[in-house]
Amino acid sequence: MKSQRKTWNDPVLVAAVMPLALVMLVFFLIPLAMTVVLTFQTTQYYRLNWTWDLKIWTEIFSKPHYWTIMLRTVGMALICVAISVVIAYPAAYALTTRLKTYNTQIQILIIFAFLTDAVLKTFGWILVLDRNGVANWLLSYLGFGPEALDILFTPTGTMIGMVYNLAVYPMFTIYLSLARLDRDLILASYDAGASRIRTFFEVTLPLSKPGLYSGAVLVFVLSLGAFLEPKVLGGGTSPLASELIRQSFETRVNWPLGAALTIVLIAIGALTLALAAGFVFRRTPSRRGEPA
Amino acid sequence: MMSQRVKNAFVDTALVGTIVLLLIFFYAPIVTLVAFSFTSSRVLTFPIEGFSLEWYGELIAKPDFFPAVINSAIVAAVSTVIATVLGTAGAIAWIRYYFRFRTLFRIVTFAPLLFPQLLLGVVMLLWFSVLGNWLNFSAGLATVIIGHVVYITPFALVIVAVQVYGFDETLEDAARDAGANRWEVFREITFPLLWPGIFSAGIFAFLLSWGNFYVSYSLSGTDRTLPIFVYSGIAVGSSPIYPALATLNFIPALILVGLAEFMRRRALRRQNAAQPLS
Repeated sequence: MKSQRKTWNDPVLVAAVMPLALVMLVFFLIPLAMTVVLTFQTTQYYRLNWTWDLKIWTEIFSKPHYWTIMLRTVGMALICVAISVVIAYPAAYALTTRLKTYNTQIQILIIFAFLTDAVLKTFGWILVLDRNGVANWLLSYLGFGPEALDILFTPTGTMIGMVYNLAVYPMFTIYLSLARLDRDLILASYDAGASRIRTFFEVTLPLSKPGLYSGAVLVFVLSLGAFLEPKVLGGGTSPLASELIRQSFETRVNWPLGAALTIVLIAIGALTLALAAGFVFRRTPSRRGEPA
Repeated sequence: MMSQRVKNAFVDTALVGTIVLLLIFFYAPIVTLVAFSFTSSRVLTFPIEGFSLEWYGELIAKPDFFPAVINSAIVAAVSTVIATVLGTAGAIAWIRYYFRFRTLFRIVTFAPLLFPQLLLGVVMLLWFSVLGNWLNFSAGLATVIIGHVVYITPFALVIVAVQVYGFDETLEDAARDAGANRWEVFREITFPLLWPGIFSAGIFAFLLSWGNFYVSYSLSGTDRTLPIFVYSGIAVGSSPIYPALATLNFIPALILVGLAEFMRRRALRRQNAAQPLS
């Protein structure tokens, strides 16, 4: 489909673009700028003082406590990315190449699981992972002895919840890039005598890298803000950045601190996004021009 | 040759197995919740002791249950309408128009999708608090709705954009040649052809808003939506009323998702079939 060129005198363009652009400006970009400004304020007796002060930033950079938690958050995010991608890739591949008949039904089931209430689903995991829960009942039924699984209220519990809530994203991005893949390239590879496995590793996998990368980045960025999972399934034993932010707002009523921690997390996410974007953009077009 | 066939059969089984395992993983908590909603015992241990519907009654009898349902319904209805309209207009601009600042527009309208919801909520909460101090208002349903619109519109935009992408613009040219004005072209051609995408974007928006915890948690003030009701409830102690609520939640949601996907896919198939051979 070709794009129509439109100028800003055209009322149709203004009507299509402006309402959404304004909403995003007033309720997304300005609040973001506001958050940055807030990090330079101070609080006194739970009230904001409008000044221009570096106090919060010196506090953040001088206390290793914050950085331990930030590092743990990034570490959890990386593990979550690795597991999610390993689960998502074969599933997306199977959906595009096998199971053609039930494709629609399976996708509806996956979309539904993604769309329903995250609090309820996370609570459901408590019932599954509890000492007297479904998983342990099943394991002892299979002969593993009573209470074989004791991962509720541990970082492993948190990780299960995070992968559960985020693995859908790379599934979609990988599925999309696999579905767009030109079948003829694969057939050409077969004609040239390559085996199915070799074709997968030399044709399919490299061509689906944009979906793989964008899915991985999505999981990483979104898992930086995981809050429900460490709270409900991790039992609060090893808090992540989200808990730190919540505490600075609710318990300590220190808004500049909360704002600054938010900005640190956003910066980590934005940096990752920028690096990944640079990587994908540099990599993908050059592939087309590569000599055979 | 035989070994190759065995290898292929192995790969096939492994791939189908992945999907089966994935569905089990996705549905483990969901099926568990549904099963526990019918328990007769107060403690949530497996295996379930006996069958009863008493927890559904207990849930409905909770005094803060219906207010939460009403709040969730208001928030979901209003933000669905706004997000779907904004998303549709945005999707048309994204795909069909080429204009100055288009890249900027695309980045800004897509960015909330790349934002952890908790941070989105916090950032907006700070803004509303500062604004509320100046203009004298406090967080409540209105701020939740605004938060949901910012978070959900990009999803609606992407879904409608898929429909816009497959759109055959020669149909509009034909209508214009036949003497239709801009509004008539939109009403008679553009809108009906985009409708399946808009409809499923609407259902997505509704469910995302209905089940949203993070944004509401930051922005709802003292007004509780259903996910907040559940969150503060399970923080105090688990009870079989939450599985009962989950079951009541899941069944209509599954029907809605099925309906939306069915409509969208049928329309996309038709569109592909109607595409002229080039």
